[in-house]
Amino acid sequence: MTVQREQLEADVLIVGAGPAGLACALHLANLIKAHNASGAKPELSAENIYVLEKGRELGAHQLSGAIMNPKALAELVPDFEKSAPLDTPVTDSAALFFTQNNSFRLPITPPPFVNTGNYVVSLSKLVKWLGEKVEAAGVNIFKEFGGAQLIYERDGIGGVITEDKGIDKNGRPKDNFQPGYELKAKVTVLAEGTRGSLTKELVEKKKLDNLNPQSYGIGIKELWDVQPGKIQPGYVAHTLGWPVPSSMYGGGWIYGLSNNRVSIGLVIALEYADPRFDPHATFQKWKTNPFVRNLLEGGKLVRYGAKSLPYGGWYAMPRSYFDGGMIVGDSGSFLDSQKLKGIHLAMKSGMLAAETTFDALKSGDTSAKMLSAYRTKIERSYIKKELWKVRNFHQGFSHGQFRGFINTAFQQITGGRGLIDPMPAHAGHEAYKRLNGQPAAPRFAGDGKLTFDRLTDVYHSGTRHEEDQPCHLHVADLNVCATKCVEEYGNPCQYFCPAAVYEMVKDVAGQKLKINFANCVHCKTCDIADPYQIINWVVPEGGGGPNYEGM
Amino acid sequence: MKIIVCIKQVPAKDAPLAISGNWIKESDIGFEMNEPDSFALEEALRLKEKHGGEVIALSMGPERVKQTMKEALAKGADRGIHIADDNFFQLDPLGAAKALSAAVKSENPDLILTGLQSDDQGFGQTGVLMAAELDRPHATIIMAIEITEGKMKLKRELEAGWFQHIECPLPAVLSIQSGINKVRYATLKGIMAAKKKEIASVTRESLGITSEPTQRVEKIYVPTKTKKTEFLTGTPKEMAAKLVEKLKFEARVI
Amino acid sequence: MKILVVTEHRQGKWNNASFETIAAAQQIAGATSGTVSAVVLGKGIGAFADELAGKSVAEVLAVENELLADYTPDGYCVALKQVIESAKPDLVLFPHTYQVRDFAPKLAAMLGKGMIGDCVGYRNEGGKLVFVRQMFQGKTVADVSFLGAGPWFASFQAGAFRADLVQAHPSGKAPVNAVSVQLTAAQIRTKPLDLFKEAKSAVDLTQAPLIVAIGRGIKAPENIPQAEAVAKAMGAEIAASRPICDEGWLPMERQIGSSGQTVAPKLYLALGISGAIQHVVGMKGARTIVAINKDQNAPIFEIADYGVVGDIFEIMPALTEALQKAKS
Repeated sequence: MTVQREQLEADVLIVGAGPAGLACALHLANLIKAHNASGAKPELSAENIYVLEKGRELGAHQLSGAIMNPKALAELVPDFEKSAPLDTPVTDSAALFFTQNNSFRLPITPPPFVNTGNYVVSLSKLVKWLGEKVEAAGVNIFKEFGGAQLIYERDGIGGVITEDKGIDKNGRPKDNFQPGYELKAKVTVLAEGTRGSLTKELVEKKKLDNLNPQSYGIGIKELWDVQPGKIQPGYVAHTLGWPVPSSMYGGGWIYGLSNNRVSIGLVIALEYADPRFDPHATFQKWKTNPFVRNLLEGGKLVRYGAKSLPYGGWYAMPRSYFDGGMIVGDSGSFLDSQKLKGIHLAMKSGMLAAETTFDALKSGDTSAKMLSAYRTKIERSYIKKELWKVRNFHQGFSHGQFRGFINTAFQQITGGRGLIDPMPAHAGHEAYKRLNGQPAAPRFAGDGKLTFDRLTDVYHSGTRHEEDQPCHLHVADLNVCATKCVEEYGNPCQYFCPAAVYEMVKDVAGQKLKINFANCVHCKTCDIADPYQIINWVVPEGGGGPNYEGM
Repeated sequence: MKIIVCIKQVPAKDAPLAISGNWIKESDIGFEMNEPDSFALEEALRLKEKHGGEVIALSMGPERVKQTMKEALAKGADRGIHIADDNFFQLDPLGAAKALSAAVKSENPDLILTGLQSDDQGFGQTGVLMAAELDRPHATIIMAIEITEGKMKLKRELEAGWFQHIECPLPAVLSIQSGINKVRYATLKGIMAAKKKEIASVTRESLGITSEPTQRVEKIYVPTKTKKTEFLTGTPKEMAAKLVEKLKFEARVI
Repeated sequence: MKILVVTEHRQGKWNNASFETIAAAQQIAGATSGTVSAVVLGKGIGAFADELAGKSVAEVLAVENELLADYTPDGYCVALKQVIESAKPDLVLFPHTYQVRDFAPKLAAMLGKGMIGDCVGYRNEGGKLVFVRQMFQGKTVADVSFLGAGPWFASFQAGAFRADLVQAHPSGKAPVNAVSVQLTAAQIRTKPLDLFKEAKSAVDLTQAPLIVAIGRGIKAPENIPQAEAVAKAMGAEIAASRPICDEGWLPMERQIGSSGQTVAPKLYLALGISGAIQHVVGMKGARTIVAINKDQNAPIFEIADYGVVGDIFEIMPALTEALQKAKS
């Protein structure tokens, strides 16, 4: 269908209103304000900064534990302590070792898990608050609009095309059809978060890959209201051991918020041999450990969510600058996987991109050469300092936890170098071992009070999509699902998707893949973990997706 | 034509409800435009496209309702009137209608459109009461509006698949049935233009309405099901017979 | 407590909900040592008034007027205002119909009073009447009470009371009193035109009193006629959980659940539905829920009044037969 698209032009286009995108917008707006106030030319306007956010509200798609290191926010908003919705400062950092029936608190909490000076926050609330500041500064934030396609220009990009709205499930325009806009910009900042869809395409097309392919984990979270006295606000625990097998990498978290609210979850590296491994079921099992069971006794599930996270660190970082644009935040691998901290690095990367953009706007030069200053700034900042120390951390675990801890120990005393530097990594989806005829175990059902099945959980994610639209999960060859994958891997999508999107159902010819796209929580796990890499997540009609309000 | 659309901001449909007394805890939940009102807004925008004029969004509530009003402006409403009241949720339907009517009386609109009811309180009386307050003719559950020479031909929905045409003079107040149109999306230009459109704010007190509330919500609660499932046993034929018997004589539903 | 029930009719037939309201009024009168009167408006309403007189009411008010031949909000409001001013009831009750929504709040406002609409019940708390209505789309209920003096106005949701429980007049007939009202054509501003039925493209399950719903247990579209037979024998509408509509086996309008319709019928019969929360939120307000599923642990049983653990393919035909037998 050839569509006439309206063209708009901005100075700066930021795709994604998460901590990185908003920090970029706010910092740039502040720089512009000071610049104009000083009478310098050319005069710039914050109103020419457009931010696209595919969620219905700011914060709707933001999911994190979360523990935030405040250093970046302190730079961005100096009086943040007075105005930011920081739930509670960390009061106690514990490392717990779980077995099925027991838990032991390690006498000394390993340094990466010590969070003194950090805050337990709701990333969703923080982003909402930050967004208000960004709008107050004059920047245009467009909610319910996603970046659907890149506009290629020179050897980089010149903007994005937003998604078409009002198309029915058969691809035909409805009454209220609205074609996507051709949004051109002098500088486009891709801030799409983990496994950004435009970023993925760009990295592949322009060969922006680094030494290692990106590695990912999946984080599955539940927010609970618990009985008073069960947990202290600011109590932060990370758990190791059961039920994550020692051949895999992962662990749980328990963060105490104020008002008897607690954030719990499990992260698992999407790099495992058993294609039928079920991260959601494993998280539910983790809750049955007496420590967690006791904590949640008499409590109520408030919200559920899941999101992938980029574990690859420094050596998986794609080239983050090119003609007409830069990559910030999780899309750019700015996450410290050892400390599980990405918010401050996302913000800092956004701020450095803002500074680079500011210089580019002033000079009128938005070439890759000009924007390479972004990379230089990153290398000179604490982003590099922090990520360099853990550059081989995640890769050290590719042969299980035991080897991982040894590698980590060596990395700690050698400033990150460890035994091998750089440690090579493979894409997580290559780790699956073929099935050898074992039947599948029955799916986890949950007891409905402490543990839940995925359908019940996904209901609590508040996710909704316009039903009558094309499916946004593009599977390149459904025959593979029905034949090859059934035999080789047993259709892992049914297991790794935390939202019960993928189902194998009986068909005349045997089995076929059914995609319940309306359940999608935009975690990107399927795009990452499918063994044949034939699933491509594209942005659905704006506004659709989870509602992580308060998460 | 001057059309006023009453738009209510309500808690998001999927918000986890935490009851507090006779209302819900408003912290940590999202708010959105009452879905029935979005159909009324769409209808107003279509009428404006056809007959010219202006569409005014009217809302009452705390400061946060302006967010929803901006959505209406982004879709094409020309300006907004906001009645500031932090305790809006405590108003009875008559009190709310009196305030809304007082705020727009001087505007002398040709049409006032409301949605059928709100997704939170669901009183469903606002349009009819505003018609009473402003002494205007009215009609409800409207599916279609045709305007020719200062008169309207309306299609009204009745129960059980019946409909009725009604002739109604202007000015009037109409409650619009949900689902009668495909609601449009806000455009980027619309969102940007909305920032510059006027939202005039008045406080409810300043409207000088002196009316006593006619009713009070004492409390809201989740209905407790004291349900115990009665399992029927036997062969399929026996169970079927038992079930029909129970439904007929015990539950009395058939 | 003097209660006045406003009845409804169209094209020569009663809206049966009127009798549900009379039943409600009789209950409330019984609990408050009160009386019930019924009013019927229109043209040529003699037979209607006569039928009402056969019920246990203190009197029937018959408002016969040419200008009330067809319903209009202005006509009914002007006429009923006069009726209420002369009859002086404490409480005016209506069935919550589309028509009542159209005029009753205005009628109350004309008398400076408020209306509590769409109630699902009431409670008598030591002489104080508390009305119960749903809020947040059925997720909660609210206790609402009137403030100030009457007359109070309230409407009851269809199905909240049972028309078959209306008490007949104990000794014959209640008096039918003709009431004349002052009404001019100029007061009636809207003009009702043709009434017509349309082949509705959309089915409105929210209005269906009986619903038979199918879930994955139906296994294949070829089996749906068996469920439709049950529905037909019962006089119910057919509906489905999401997977059935996703597959296209039934149209989207038949879907019940968080992404479909929310219904609260008198009876909801769930065939082969597991009871996932996405479906349950769309129907748990039903008054009587019957679940038939071969899995005794299916969550649907937690909200069912009657449960049958069994094979729906054996139960459906047996049920159809039993229903047909009961009808005859």
